[in-house]
Amino acid sequence: MLEKRVLSRVLEEAMKKGGDFAEIYVEEKTVSNIFYEDDKIEKINSGREKGAGIRVIKDGSTAYVYTNDLSTENLCEAASLANHAAESGQTFSSPEIKLNCKSIDNEIKIGQKSEKVSFADKIERIISANSTARNYSEKIRQVTIVLGDVHKAIQIANSDGELVEDERARVRMIVNAVAAEDNIVQTGYESAGEIGGWELLSRVSLDELAANASGLAVKMLSAPPAPAGRMPVVMSAEAGGTLVHEACGHGLEADLVQKGLSVYKGQMGQKVAASGVTIIDDATIERKFGSFRFDDEGIPGQKTVLIENGRLCGYLYDRLTAQKDNTNSTGNGRRQSYQHKPIPRMTNTFIAPGKEDPSEIIKSTPQGLLVKKMGGGQVNTTNGDFVFDVQEAYIIEDGEVKHPVRGATLTGNGPEVLKNIDRMGKDLGFGIGTCGKDGQGVPVSDAQPTIRIKQLTVGGTMMSNGPSIKRIRRK
Amino acid sequence: MNEDFLKSAGIIALEAGIRRGVMTEVYLLSSCQLNIEVADSKVETLIEAKERGMGIRIINDGKLGFAYTCDLSAEAILEAVNDAYNITSYTTFDKYNQLPVGPYEYEVMQLYDQKIKETTVEEKIDMARQMESAALAADSRISIIERAGYEDTEYISVIMNTNGLYASGQGNFSGMYIYLVAEENGDAQTGFAMSLKKWIKDLEPGAVGREAAKKAVRSLNARTIKSANLTCIMEPYVVTQFLGILAKMVDAETVQKGKSLFAGKIGQAVASDKITLIDDSTWPDGAGSFPFDGEGVPAQRNLVIENGILKTFLYDTYTAAKGGVSSTGNAQRGSFRSLPEAGPSNFIILPGSNTLESLISDISKGFYITDVMGMHTTNPISGDFSVGAAGIMIENGYLAYPVRGVTIAGNLIDLLQDIDAVGSDLKFYGSKGAPAIRLKNLCIGGE
Repeated sequence: MLEKRVLSRVLEEAMKKGGDFAEIYVEEKTVSNIFYEDDKIEKINSGREKGAGIRVIKDGSTAYVYTNDLSTENLCEAASLANHAAESGQTFSSPEIKLNCKSIDNEIKIGQKSEKVSFADKIERIISANSTARNYSEKIRQVTIVLGDVHKAIQIANSDGELVEDERARVRMIVNAVAAEDNIVQTGYESAGEIGGWELLSRVSLDELAANASGLAVKMLSAPPAPAGRMPVVMSAEAGGTLVHEACGHGLEADLVQKGLSVYKGQMGQKVAASGVTIIDDATIERKFGSFRFDDEGIPGQKTVLIENGRLCGYLYDRLTAQKDNTNSTGNGRRQSYQHKPIPRMTNTFIAPGKEDPSEIIKSTPQGLLVKKMGGGQVNTTNGDFVFDVQEAYIIEDGEVKHPVRGATLTGNGPEVLKNIDRMGKDLGFGIGTCGKDGQGVPVSDAQPTIRIKQLTVGGTMMSNGPSIKRIRRK
Repeated sequence: MNEDFLKSAGIIALEAGIRRGVMTEVYLLSSCQLNIEVADSKVETLIEAKERGMGIRIINDGKLGFAYTCDLSAEAILEAVNDAYNITSYTTFDKYNQLPVGPYEYEVMQLYDQKIKETTVEEKIDMARQMESAALAADSRISIIERAGYEDTEYISVIMNTNGLYASGQGNFSGMYIYLVAEENGDAQTGFAMSLKKWIKDLEPGAVGREAAKKAVRSLNARTIKSANLTCIMEPYVVTQFLGILAKMVDAETVQKGKSLFAGKIGQAVASDKITLIDDSTWPDGAGSFPFDGEGVPAQRNLVIENGILKTFLYDTYTAAKGGVSSTGNAQRGSFRSLPEAGPSNFIILPGSNTLESLISDISKGFYITDVMGMHTTNPISGDFSVGAAGIMIENGYLAYPVRGVTIAGNLIDLLQDIDAVGSDLKFYGSKGAPAIRLKNLCIGGE
């Protein structure tokens, strides 16, 4: 990591042309990934990375320069390139920047750091999970297991004199099982991940993930294609929050709102969802995949209520968008790495639980689709249209869960769906993912209780002859 | 940033590998990027990036190890070699883990446009402004320019291995892109256009702006339709989205792992005889053109599907050894941060002779598909897809009215067989190129 005086000097250089704000983000990172497939270690990747991104803002314009040469000389050169933001051409004698280290008491514990757990250890667990997945059924044809971890040390310093130093770690494991029978191929996918170290392995069983992935793939082999058309849809809590993330979350990111690219623009204080629907983004939930102490602009992570009892009451802000709206950042300025400028992003986003017993919701649904597991999704934030794929779904008839169906996709419109939520359970289930926006991926989680949507379009494949299944990797 | 510096860093790693008696390969990349985005004629974001790094692949008695480092000091390089070497004690023996054997002769390609370097930042900003104003002037319903950008990249890559291979190359390219919104009667629709060129003189800012405007405006006031089976035309952009999935299905790794429906189908008809699909890293001015692939194997043109018949898969050195064939020069490397993998370079469906008008003119009722959502959910193992779509209804040979909120579903194999005409309008989106195609019958899921 860099010395304080180097950071100050770079910032002073960056402010020389009269910028409004300058910042340097320094990152040192180690990553490791193990891919297991075909009953063998397919590959192990290990990498070391370090670099810095320097940002200068002037009248809302941003110049961002990044480099992985951290010599003082090169950083100062990068800082003077970033001066492009201030096009006046004048040189100012910028005041000396004194940096003060910020601290908060939201400690995130990193138990077993990645370098403390040997490859041999992880591989032993993987081999066991691989056998579990394959022994589940002879119909299992392929099993892929991935264990990955990231460990970062970061420094963020800015021209306001703030300095944040932090250590971050996250771990993730994925099991993908492929089952085949009579020309039908189905996949099952399970994942777990959190902020912290490999203590995850002591709480989440990799074997259990493997058995579940195989179980799902095999179950879907005999499932008929999903029906098509508009129908009531019950989404169980364990389906995770792809819906809230896509149908609502992206549209509440302040950069999209300010550019007029969100269906939720200009609707502050208005009713945008059914009564009883409360939507929250919270970076402070313990261990969740989207949690952090400080965001990537050095602002403490916080809890932000976005929709309260159906009314829109907040957007997700970073520094730049907050300044435009004359408000404070909500601590949602995030970036993938030093190679990216921060932008407003979600953290852990969820629909707050209601009061009902989830089983009652199913019982009182005469006919519809029960979604137990969501896949990936995509949204057009401008008009709110979305499409998701469903990994595991069942037919509901007369309030009872009947046979599984495969190949369902859900298409709809975000605001319309939020208004159409008519039942809410008291449970809450989380899913993890990597959320992509403007070419940057950041870890997020999302959640919802069991909910019922009065009407949603299920785009199935009843009309075509071929079978249908989905990949479930979150995009 | 120069070849000599990269070469000397690479030699440090190769020598460390030789000292340990293992096969070693280094891939070094040094790149410099500029990206400018304007909003309301003002520069909103300017990004300059300088990056370099090295990926080290070690094969120790058939066992593979990989590590990368951005720090090219001798000390960091030796640590990374050490990491890669240590990893080989955990990985499985595989006799197909091999490195290509050099030296090779490489084709000389014109990949460097001096003009990109000579054009000033101010001139590049101006190009982005021109694109933005052309889009706004194209139609009064264009309400928002989401992003209007110019970008260029310059890079040097060096590949060396202990089998006597040495490859180095330098290239650059420039591009523009625009995302915008058209609004009318409370309806908002997005439009986008992009253009990526080897030669900066070929960039046409005004044309890119107008194309995006046209795309957004034509989707306004779209309605949904009843579910039906219809004759469809896919725009080149949509076809290239499907090409992304096809690329996976013909990559030898996917095939050898039994994850492709094309496995075992070499020599068989997998598509309509109207379809000829090539992978060509020598395609003049192609975004994916380069004298050698990610392992230093020379560039070549591969016929993947010829008149509907599957001719070859795309191989890198590993998959070629496993399949008992020669590498097709298709080791792809996203960056120095990962191992090379078999994949496409310039992946192109060759155009036919039909104009778009003639493709549409004899359709009494059909659907012209302009956009698909959720393409990544397509399953390359089964070929099944069910994706969101938008487009324009075709009635009596003319484009009638815009449609959105429908899904198209089917199987990629059926779709390929169903192609009854190919357009003449070859268009590139990055390194994927395709003309419009017509499908006899596709299942459209609507109300």
